[in-house]
Amino acid sequence: MNAYDYWSIAQGALATVVLSVVSILLGVPLGLGLALIRWARVPFFNRIVIAYVSLIRSCPAVTLTLLIFFALPQFGLSLDPTPAAILALTISTAAFNCEIWRAALMNFPRDQYDAALAFAMPRALRFRRIVMPQIWRASLPGLVNEMTLQIKSTPAVAVIGIVEITRAALRVGARTYDPLPPFAFALVLYGLIVFVLIKAQRVIERRQPVEARA
Amino acid sequence: MSVRLTRSDRGPFKRRNVVTCLRAFALVAALGCVHGAHAGSAEDIKARGYLSVATEDDYNPFEFVEDGKNTGYDNDLLALVRKKIGVDVKQQVMPWSGILPGVTTGKYDMALTAVLVTDERKKIFDFASPTCESITYYATKKGSSIKTPDDLVGKVVGAETGSAMLADLKLFDEALKKKHGGNGIKQIIEYQSYPEAYQDLGLGRVDAVANTQISLNSLIKTRPDVFVIGQAIGKPTYIAWAVKKGNGDVLKMVDTALLELRKSGEMYQLQQKWLGASYKDMPQSVN
Amino acid sequence: MMAHFLIVWQQRADVLSGLLDTLSLLAVAAVASLVLGALLTPALMSKRAAIARLATLYVDAMRCAPFLLFVYLIYFGLPTAGIRLSNWWAGAIALILYNTAYMAELLRGAWVGLPTPMIEAARAYGFHGFGLVRRIIFPQVFTVALPMIGNQLVQIVKDSAFLTVIAVGELTHQMNGIQATYFIPFAAFVTAVLLYWAICLVIEGGSGILSRFAEERRA
Repeated sequence: MNAYDYWSIAQGALATVVLSVVSILLGVPLGLGLALIRWARVPFFNRIVIAYVSLIRSCPAVTLTLLIFFALPQFGLSLDPTPAAILALTISTAAFNCEIWRAALMNFPRDQYDAALAFAMPRALRFRRIVMPQIWRASLPGLVNEMTLQIKSTPAVAVIGIVEITRAALRVGARTYDPLPPFAFALVLYGLIVFVLIKAQRVIERRQPVEARA
Repeated sequence: MSVRLTRSDRGPFKRRNVVTCLRAFALVAALGCVHGAHAGSAEDIKARGYLSVATEDDYNPFEFVEDGKNTGYDNDLLALVRKKIGVDVKQQVMPWSGILPGVTTGKYDMALTAVLVTDERKKIFDFASPTCESITYYATKKGSSIKTPDDLVGKVVGAETGSAMLADLKLFDEALKKKHGGNGIKQIIEYQSYPEAYQDLGLGRVDAVANTQISLNSLIKTRPDVFVIGQAIGKPTYIAWAVKKGNGDVLKMVDTALLELRKSGEMYQLQQKWLGASYKDMPQSVN
Repeated sequence: MMAHFLIVWQQRADVLSGLLDTLSLLAVAAVASLVLGALLTPALMSKRAAIARLATLYVDAMRCAPFLLFVYLIYFGLPTAGIRLSNWWAGAIALILYNTAYMAELLRGAWVGLPTPMIEAARAYGFHGFGLVRRIIFPQVFTVALPMIGNQLVQIVKDSAFLTVIAVGELTHQMNGIQATYFIPFAAFVTAVLLYWAICLVIEGGSGILSRFAEERRA
């Protein structure tokens, strides 16, 4: 493996990180929105969200990516590989995040909510000051776990030609006919990315401990 | 929680949901690169300003990536065509299995890659002026017991998914079965791209790989100690760039450029450089 | 559009073979990883530091590595070590090794959640060692962990789709071949998505039924 090979795998790492970060930034709020629809039992959309979550959670990342990239153009929606990959990853992570947020919402103490109602807090204020600060702290481990799973499913987008870490390593191996060193290097890079994420979670948890229930 | 206590308890965060969802979708859409997929007529292309083409990512010697740059016969030819064609060309590099479906669904105007001209494909695509000739061969590992095409009976052979070489292989398998009383190739394995097939050939997971003779010769040149080329298992045909059937405008633009390159001899020079031979007797159109 | 689905229907032999491949990979990987995971869990909780650390290292390594990378390592790495497997078996082994770690971790989580009075009572009655594990602990562990095992089975199905890159003829691979040959990407992939959904609904349904049994018998 020459220097250029290391560089190409590192560039793949950049692609992985960018794809993961963007899909996480989009997927977490989207998941929250879906969870809120479920919690509020909005009449028609409730069912749609249930079906969406059930369908997407059982769909492999590879198949979903292939569907979005190759099949949507038949309906006039043609995406370049990178936006298609981001869309596929976001759709996938939003479904899982919905379940995580929903678990936190279901476990939210009803008495606090009732107290807020008794004080005639408007909706937005209720959410912003009472519900959100507590549920985001409670969902954090689940969300970070899902983020690491997201990062580990980014290799799925290699099937539409995006050169992320795994595909870059594969290419180097195909050229040199010595596949193991590039894969070992790729493993190290993935480990680094996941490590950074978990460390960040620990730091946040230490800074903002979960308040004991009154 | 299913009892509505007050009127304002209807559904706490409806507006927030909608806003969040809208924001999310806006972000995704704003990432741009969402455009209607319509194979363009000449006016569309002039309005758009570019021709969109798809090229395979790893198919030696026609198109492959070296040190980060797209190179190979087709890519060099594209560089020359760009100068003559008068519009910009936006090239998307991707695995083979998405290229032809991408042209049929209108995602790309043209498949600028090594597409073999077959009767099946002529029903769905129109081809530009051919870029070279091709016959499907098989290659084996050096020292293999396969010496003639008939020796492929009972062996495992690999080819690229959705390729004409795979179709040739399947036809050859039928012929083998007829000749040898029902015994044909033991198993045909479909790969996403040829480098993976060659690696498996080197490891011994497949006994032979079917590909165009040009590509196989290029493989043998890089690794003469490991691989050896066999014999033809398909009929001679041409390789050309493909557009959706009926897309005459794009065809005319590209054909003009290609025929100019033929007349000036530049195409034959490229053929000599990448393919090791020049094909001067090709017809002007294969449709 | 209907014509496209008709083409998919005409190729149903290939689709069926892909579906059966996926299901057989699921069956083999599920059974093997559950059995091996059950064997690994005591090692994870062992009092002997060396064993526990080794087992934990293995589990952490599997949880850090993306599955596709692991598949490539097995696929390209084993021949270097002299073991040459077919694509299907390389994929199956990758699935098994990868999910053994997850199953072991699941079961360990259920194990530490068991009520200690129950185990103390079993000890008082003379259960110890292997008998204790087999007759008292594991039945409870499995009933508690059942929903999570169901989730992991869904994960196995989804991971099997990655095996298309090493040319294993499972469902996604067959559908990709069909769409590349007949130019029907939407029909082919939508069929694949719906079939995966059906498989996972069956898994979740089965897991739900077994959970109801489990609830009745939980400590």
